Amino acid sequence: MSDHLIDLYPLCQGLIAFVNDLVGRIMNAVAGGIEGIGIAPPGAGQPLRDQAALMNSPWVIGLIAWLVAIQVMILWGTAINLLVMMWMERKFYSRLQDRVGIKIGLTSMDFLARIPILGGLFTNFVKRPSHLGTGFLQNVADGVKMVQKENLTPAKADAFTFHAAPVLIASSTLLIFAALPFSDGFTIMQSPNPFGILFILAAFSLAPIGILIAGWSSNNKYTLIGGMRSTAMLMSYEIPMILSLIAVVVLMGTLDPFEIVHRQAQPISASISQLSFLGSAGADGAIYFPNWNIFTAFPAFLVFAIAILAEQERIPFDLPEAEAELVEGWLTEYSGMRFGLVFGFKWLRGLAGSGLLVILFLGGWTGPHITLPLPGLSLAFPFQELWFMVKVYLVFMAYVWISWSFPRIRIDQILNIGWKVLIPIALLAIFLSIALRAFGVYQ
Amino acid sequence: MEWDLVAFIAFSTLELVAAVLVVTSKRLVHSVFWLAVTLATIGGIYVLLRAEFIGLVQIIVYAGAVPILFLFGIMLTRRKIMEEPHEAE
Amino acid sequence: MAEVGAAAEHGDSMWINMGPQHPMTHGLWNLKVRVDGEIVVEALPEIGYLHRGVEKISEVREFHKVIALTDRLCYVSSITWSHAYCLAVEELMGVTDQIPPRARYLRVISNELQRVASHLMWLAAYGPDLGILTGLLWALRDRELFLDLIQAMTGMRMNQNYPRPGGVRNDIPATFERDCTKVVKHFMGKLDEYEDLLGSNKTFHMRTKGVGVISPEEGTEWGVTGPNLRASGVACDLRKLDPYDAYDELSFEQALDKDGDSFARYAVRMEEMRTSCDLVLQALKKLPKGPYRMKAPRRAEGEAYRRTEDSRGEALFYVCGDGSDRPYRVKIRSPIFCTMSAVPTIMRGERVADVISIMGSLDVCVGEMDK
Repeated sequence: MSDHLIDLYPLCQGLIAFVNDLVGRIMNAVAGGIEGIGIAPPGAGQPLRDQAALMNSPWVIGLIAWLVAIQVMILWGTAINLLVMMWMERKFYSRLQDRVGIKIGLTSMDFLARIPILGGLFTNFVKRPSHLGTGFLQNVADGVKMVQKENLTPAKADAFTFHAAPVLIASSTLLIFAALPFSDGFTIMQSPNPFGILFILAAFSLAPIGILIAGWSSNNKYTLIGGMRSTAMLMSYEIPMILSLIAVVVLMGTLDPFEIVHRQAQPISASISQLSFLGSAGADGAIYFPNWNIFTAFPAFLVFAIAILAEQERIPFDLPEAEAELVEGWLTEYSGMRFGLVFGFKWLRGLAGSGLLVILFLGGWTGPHITLPLPGLSLAFPFQELWFMVKVYLVFMAYVWISWSFPRIRIDQILNIGWKVLIPIALLAIFLSIALRAFGVYQ
Repeated sequence: MEWDLVAFIAFSTLELVAAVLVVTSKRLVHSVFWLAVTLATIGGIYVLLRAEFIGLVQIIVYAGAVPILFLFGIMLTRRKIMEEPHEAE
Repeated sequence: MAEVGAAAEHGDSMWINMGPQHPMTHGLWNLKVRVDGEIVVEALPEIGYLHRGVEKISEVREFHKVIALTDRLCYVSSITWSHAYCLAVEELMGVTDQIPPRARYLRVISNELQRVASHLMWLAAYGPDLGILTGLLWALRDRELFLDLIQAMTGMRMNQNYPRPGGVRNDIPATFERDCTKVVKHFMGKLDEYEDLLGSNKTFHMRTKGVGVISPEEGTEWGVTGPNLRASGVACDLRKLDPYDAYDELSFEQALDKDGDSFARYAVRMEEMRTSCDLVLQALKKLPKGPYRMKAPRRAEGEAYRRTEDSRGEALFYVCGDGSDRPYRVKIRSPIFCTMSAVPTIMRGERVADVISIMGSLDVCVGEMDK
């Protein structure tokens, strides 16, 4: 029985093996053909046969499969999730603000209404074209707009670092997805992954230097101030983030995201035997109180949630990008797709942060499921990817809600909270976890 | 073909070039940037030596935090790190 | 830190320009602040970008034609400014006690509706200053209701040209009382929502409490008036101290707070909105029947002045006539112009990150400041 839908690497490997096999057969056939017809000397088809053999050799298939797997993961993160998350956020905070929000969708496109027969589905275009759709294509339109804008470089900006900084920020954000699993199989670094969480942290911590360099290189004293504030804030909040993570790792005993999620799938009585009244693992499909870390390490959860909010540079921790004072902060001088890349990847960091929160505290991709007896394969519903995405989107919506209901906190107050409030609570959480472990309460 | 050797040579070359650029860059912030690259590639070499933990910690602590500390330290001194727009005329 | 480095290079000062093109200075003016690290050492407002010469132009227009100019002094709160001018002109002409009672009450109603609209505009601008963009949309949504009421009453949403020397321009429509009561009652419920969003929001307190404190002595010395001074505890509401129109026949309490910080200014304005709604309901109930305007004389001679409680403070008009049908001199005292002279004192010692918060809480309207 498979709980998850996609095994990323085996799927890619199978696909590439199939494709290469096909291509190899065609090449062999062509080689045989040109030798058989006689237009070429015998042995002329051998290079083609060698090529076919090379393409079917395991290392070539492996290499291409890895590249395809990485592409799939990047596309999943940026093309699909980014658009969906931006759309959800814009619609949600529009409702908070008592308005409808973006509405450009498929039904707003003129050319679709002119398709014969099927155009009937889109005929309302003639009345109020821009007020009909769900709004999903608005973000695509924004992306296209940014791509076609001129990439301005300020005259006295330091060209090398000005161009290198968005690359650094974008690539370190995408690096997170190498180690972030979306289910047991939908991941690049496969299970077991003994240092997965540490890898994600390392990728998170590469971003501040990109931001500092971006702020400095624009040759603008406001972006410099914004960059410095942003870096100070990000570095201050990495510490409580890592400390609260230690609290969880002490309980779980491993840095492996797969292990962490599997341990949380067990009933809580498996870890804390005093709580056996809360249900235990029975038959498949039994509902029991899970061993989620949000219950066993609650202070760590609070600290981590706030630290991730700061790492995403969202309002209330928005001062580095405060429009009121510094226009866009360290991003001001970037235009066109450079701006779009960095700005859009803020949502990717949101996805990564929420994903990390879900994996560490909310049980990852596990949850109650039933097995559907489909012919040929048995699939669990809701399968793991679905559970994971539902939880991640819920966490993300909670962050959006917080973001759009609070004012910005001032930079010294932000640093105050980070150093003087969150770090003590995180240390407390560590002591709690150590106590739970040391006194044998938590096995 | 020993891929280990290839990877080691690649990382080491990158690191040595970056280290030389740290010392010879004309602008201080470039030096800091190349320092970050140097430290990150050292982390990569650790991973090659099958010490993944220390490699990742090297990236978190060194490549992620130390160059920023350098930059803040530079800004605390009075060295000019940025041309004001009106000065260049 | 870079500022310290740069300061050492330049001597001892680093001036930051906030404006004149700035997303959050609500109008066209420039504030230069000199900072030492994060603390403001000196602040120098530069105003006059919006100077249109209103006082000079009004010398070549007839008395009732100047109203089109005074409307545009503070375009967010136009009825109150034209009203102040009309009161001064009526003093000049000596017809103050001949204004029909219905006109007096209609002026009160229009003033208070305009005051609520002006305070809502302030709220819509202040929220995004601090980072609550939701506040912008909620305040503008509620302001639409009041602009609809003002449009029903006067015919326009902004720059209405409504008060006249001698009364008001037109009477209210028949359905106005019903609509107005409905809107006002609905809005008073909405004010509780603002309390939830802003007033009891811990982060809002962190940004506004203790920030930009004006002591009562400082405020009175520098000529600060209106909600800015009432937030420091000085009872200076001119509707109580020097009543005009029908204010002495209506009962209300002036909104006072004693802290003098940005939060106090916010609280005073929210309270004033509530008071204004109350005043509108009272005035509607007591609205007498009769003419809404009397014919004021064309020519006037002499000099007179009148001060009123504008949305932002004390607005004073000094009008001087020389016997012709145009004023010889119109002098305008605008509250924000005087508050601006207090800005260096207020800003000294505050953090640079708080400058926008303080300027937002003072409710700067550049139109009336620059005239």
